[in-house]
Amino acid sequence: MKEGTVAHDRPTGLMARMALALERPRVLGTLMLAPAVLYVVAFVAVPFFIAIALSVSDATVGNPQIDTFVGLDNFISVISQDAFGIALRNSLLITTLTVLILLVLATTAVELLAREFRGKRLVQVLFMIPWAMPVALSAITWLWLLDSQYSPIDWVLVQLGLLGPDGPFGPSRNMFYLGREWLAIGSVVFVDVWRTLPLATIIVLAGRLSIPRERIEQAQLDGAGFFRVLFRIIIPALAPVLTVAILFTALLVIGEMSTIALLTRGGPGHATQILPYWAYLKGINSGDLAQGAAIALFLFPVLLAAAIVALRFAYRAGRD
Amino acid sequence: MLHNSIRTRLLRLRGTSITLGSALALSVFPTVAVSQGEPPEPEFTTEYGEMSFPSQFPDGTSISLTQWSHFVPLYDEWFQEYAQRWGEAHNVEVSVNMINLADLTSTLSASIAAGEGATIFEMSAPPTAFIDGLQSLADVNEAAAAAFGERTGTCERSSYLPVTDMWYGFCHGWVPDPGDYRRSLWEDAGFPEGPQTYQDLLEGGTKIYQDTGIAVGVGMSPEIDSEFYARALIWSHGGSIQDENGNVTFNSPEVLEAVRFQKELFENAMTPEVFAWNAASNNQTFIGGRASYIQNSISFYRSAQESAPEIAADAGFRPGLKGPGGDVKMPSHVWFIYVIPNYVTDPDKLAAAKKFMLDLENNYANASYYSKFYNFPAFPSRSEQLFAEGGWLDNDPWDAQPPDKLNLLKTAEEWTAWLGYPGYANPAISEVYESHLLSSMMADVVRGQKTPEEAVEDTNAEIEEIFAKWRERGMVGGGGN
Repeated sequence: MKEGTVAHDRPTGLMARMALALERPRVLGTLMLAPAVLYVVAFVAVPFFIAIALSVSDATVGNPQIDTFVGLDNFISVISQDAFGIALRNSLLITTLTVLILLVLATTAVELLAREFRGKRLVQVLFMIPWAMPVALSAITWLWLLDSQYSPIDWVLVQLGLLGPDGPFGPSRNMFYLGREWLAIGSVVFVDVWRTLPLATIIVLAGRLSIPRERIEQAQLDGAGFFRVLFRIIIPALAPVLTVAILFTALLVIGEMSTIALLTRGGPGHATQILPYWAYLKGINSGDLAQGAAIALFLFPVLLAAAIVALRFAYRAGRD
Repeated sequence: MLHNSIRTRLLRLRGTSITLGSALALSVFPTVAVSQGEPPEPEFTTEYGEMSFPSQFPDGTSISLTQWSHFVPLYDEWFQEYAQRWGEAHNVEVSVNMINLADLTSTLSASIAAGEGATIFEMSAPPTAFIDGLQSLADVNEAAAAAFGERTGTCERSSYLPVTDMWYGFCHGWVPDPGDYRRSLWEDAGFPEGPQTYQDLLEGGTKIYQDTGIAVGVGMSPEIDSEFYARALIWSHGGSIQDENGNVTFNSPEVLEAVRFQKELFENAMTPEVFAWNAASNNQTFIGGRASYIQNSISFYRSAQESAPEIAADAGFRPGLKGPGGDVKMPSHVWFIYVIPNYVTDPDKLAAAKKFMLDLENNYANASYYSKFYNFPAFPSRSEQLFAEGGWLDNDPWDAQPPDKLNLLKTAEEWTAWLGYPGYANPAISEVYESHLLSSMMADVVRGQKTPEEAVEDTNAEIEEIFAKWRERGMVGGGGN
């Protein structure tokens, strides 16, 4: 060692060496990302690839081994089923309608919740209840509200003279919400909107509160009215967040089967059938695990494309 | 009061087993004199046919059961007590997990996939698609036949698969599914004994609906009661899904006639509410006084005795309805089918599980009694008091009025069919049932989505494909020209 230079002793203890390693960005970054990556691999990637393998096999619930390759037989067989076409249509239709209604309601709700008023805290709590409620409990509540004989909604309509022998929706005293195709689909959309509105609203609210107040005040000073501020300033500024909200709620609704399972079980006929529930009926209840996997995978290309487009849009909008 | 006497009796059972203690190591419980009308005390023997069991199992032996929550709550209460008592008598730790009937298949599926779970599963319908993951219970079934005699057809055809020659389950009981009608309504409509034929159902049901607004309550929804109604209608019209050998026979004039009948019945005597029903809906509608006729097991009647006595008093029962050719066939409502998954390999556990099954059947008078005669034995000899002249069905100890109200169930086996009738249950038959093809077909026709001809043809094509798929896997017979 030359004279006058400072000597740095290399750390010798385990803890000291670890501390030194953690100072390197690459090591620290890898460690910080590891839990998320492990989670995605264990709970998303592995099940996804197992599903693909199952869909080209002849696995059953009694013998879930993936040892026989059957090519695309399961996909071809699924397409020929009456229920499949209806389930595909309903999955897309129910999701689209739910998301469109959510967009309008969530934006409206955010405008309300972004303002100060008396009882705001209470409104916020009440607003969150559908999201905090277990799905089964909320669906059973709706099952009662939409009951074919004892629906309180029907009772109100009868009292208002809208339902019954002389009412415009009569002569029956019941609407049979879940027993008529379009009323049943409408009911499912309504319940899905009711359940997911709090989530969509919270996502959008976060974006709304990040818009600088000065921008809105400036526009108002310049004479812009409520709708001009909403459509020219707030909604464009919210675009990335709205995209995320659409993506989240769409994925949530399209992959969810408990509302259908508890309300209609796919009926009347197959009129409200959706792909996740049909996959469950075929794959688990009927025992054909391979065909169930094939049904479940049908939406994957659509969802992947939608997710890529939505995320790219959100990224660009955020960068702009 | 009656309920209290059962509670007292259950407590007495618990007391007996504690007093005996495991040290006694008895193979047979002492027979206690029973009061009139009650079942005999449970007996645990060590020999059944060619199977013999130890009276005590090695320390540490345990079995677990996953079974469905019974529709008659008293049965579950009794079963828990019985299982504990059996465990204490045999030095076996017994745990019973009761789950919703709708969750059975997914729970069994998950257990087989994971390679661990309950020792015994009790399934409500033949679990034919699970066969590869289940152990053969040929020894238990042979022992039971040797010890108990004749087995009911519905149980045999719901636990044995001829094409693989495998007893995949042990069916310990089944449930009749009679027609249930409101006596006062049908009397006013000119049918004092209720409907005897499907034509009566149409004529009387129409008159009642026009006069009172009370509809016929047979479902056309994706649920088990609707599926069973569709089968009863088709079988009684002379049609079927398959023949005895597993060949598809669905596209027939008989099935077409049954579908046309259903369309006419709906247009004249029913409302769209039946499209949205779940398995409990027809019970609720009948108990609520809003149905003139339903097809269901007697569990609804037992509920009505407590919650709507006036409806219970007005309820009448029919052993099914005759079709145009005079055939009467009703399905079993559910079955109690014990299965053991392949992952159970411990010999003591297996032996204990098999003994538990055979002991339960041996003491089935108790199961029938505490289910309020919802459970019928797979082996009629094991519940003689049920069928005897002046026995339970002639003189109902659970307060049916009149006391012989349910005695038509004594002939239930004669008019009861099974899921694969006239053949055996198989994975294809189960898939047709679980994917609700028949109730959906009926709904499509009566909603005007398809003509009866189109609906039968389309459904037949789907059934053919399902059969071909499982036949290729070697699990369905037939298919020859």
